[in-house]
Amino acid sequence: MIAHVDALLRARGPFAVGRGPVPLALLVALLAICGFLYGAAMGASDARALQALYSGLKVPLLLACATLFCLPNFFVVNTFLGLREDFGAALRAVLSAQATVAVALCAMSPLILTVYASSENYRFAVFMNGVIFALATLAGQRTLMRHYAPLVQSNPRHRICRLAWVLLYVFVAIQLAWVLRPFIGDPGSASTFFREGAWSNAYVVILRDVLGF
Amino acid sequence: MPGIVKTIDNVLRGRLTRKEDLAAGRIDVPVPTLVAAGLLLGIVYGLCMGLFAVMREGNPSTPQLFATAVKVPLLFLLTLVVTYPSLYVVSALFDSRLRSAQTLRLLLTAMCVNLALLASLGPVTAFFTLSTDSYSFMVLLNVLFMGLSGIAGLAFLRRALDAVFHVAPPVELPVKPSQAPAAEFGRAPGDSAADFGERASRPMLRAPARFATPPSRRIFSFWLLIYGVVGAQMGWILRPFIGDPGLEFQFFRARESNFFAAVIEALQNLFS
Repeated sequence: MIAHVDALLRARGPFAVGRGPVPLALLVALLAICGFLYGAAMGASDARALQALYSGLKVPLLLACATLFCLPNFFVVNTFLGLREDFGAALRAVLSAQATVAVALCAMSPLILTVYASSENYRFAVFMNGVIFALATLAGQRTLMRHYAPLVQSNPRHRICRLAWVLLYVFVAIQLAWVLRPFIGDPGSASTFFREGAWSNAYVVILRDVLGF
Repeated sequence: MPGIVKTIDNVLRGRLTRKEDLAAGRIDVPVPTLVAAGLLLGIVYGLCMGLFAVMREGNPSTPQLFATAVKVPLLFLLTLVVTYPSLYVVSALFDSRLRSAQTLRLLLTAMCVNLALLASLGPVTAFFTLSTDSYSFMVLLNVLFMGLSGIAGLAFLRRALDAVFHVAPPVELPVKPSQAPAAEFGRAPGDSAADFGERASRPMLRAPARFATPPSRRIFSFWLLIYGVVGAQMGWILRPFIGDPGLEFQFFRARESNFFAAVIEALQNLFS
């Protein structure tokens, strides 16, 4: 497994940049295992086994579902811009980027445990998880860029595809993360898979509660 | 069915609108298959869009789901039917190489591109539908997605029109600055039959073509205006698509207001 993680991060072996077949099974396995490990750490703030298990299941679910919702559009945009021949390589790029996010999250799970160990402040825990997700997303971007560099060089239109993917993915992932909460588990509430009343809209909440509209 | 999917794929790959074919005024697209593809793609997005009416809390409405699934393809086809004659006249006025049937095929193909992009955003719409109860948010999200896919359809159309009007770069005529009054009219060669006499009598006074707006871009601007305004208003006439939770299901609403006023109102609702 470590060898595969190393290959993924360096974009070598089965994860090399290029057009070969997408190593789907490996990528899904890495995403599931690494995502689960970080999620378990994320949900362990109160040392509640059930919350850790739930969060462990939800992190890979978040990454996988957000990808699935955006893939049809990514496929159509690629085809429409005349980049269908490169779609295999583009798919390798976005899926490898997703797996990289999971690997980066997993690598930072000891950090979040240290944060939990050092403070009981729930809001601080939420903030630090946000920071870690942002950093993991940057790691994913690194893989995405690496895969996309030769594509953009061969046809600058790949830039549009990459931008369309990133924008739509972030838009969907923020809402999906909101729907799938709690990830950390408020010490004041019981461990649950879905929070009561979680089916709301993150953007409406941000507009109303944060920006005060 | 596999034939329809194949056609959609070919449309998106641009295999049915090759540059050399367009330059020769040829578009060989099977019209019935294109219409069927448009219907299919429209129904797919319509089902995602109409889901909100079924899922909303209090006053869920299943008929709205089916009504929306019918209305989305109808919206695009009716807009095309209503605008096609005007669009054809404009392109013929600019001496387009496309005959009337070819113009219709080109517009149908662009509609197919538009609907394919819209349908590909269907899963995202469905996901937001499942997780939001804000009607105004859904209205704006759908307007955004329709707008984005519309832009893609228009980009396709503009590229195709450029190919239709593509000619070898003209040899520049020596024009003295003081002798170029025609430039201020901004006409391109072959703009209309009316300026033929002028051109024949004073050939040296024409400005080089690169200073004028190419006819393809002028046709495109007209088309954009006609199609955009009619399309937006057609959407308004055919409403409800999403279904206001506070209102009972109706196939059509009363005739009142217009699309642009409604978008502004939805924005105000979201921010209040």
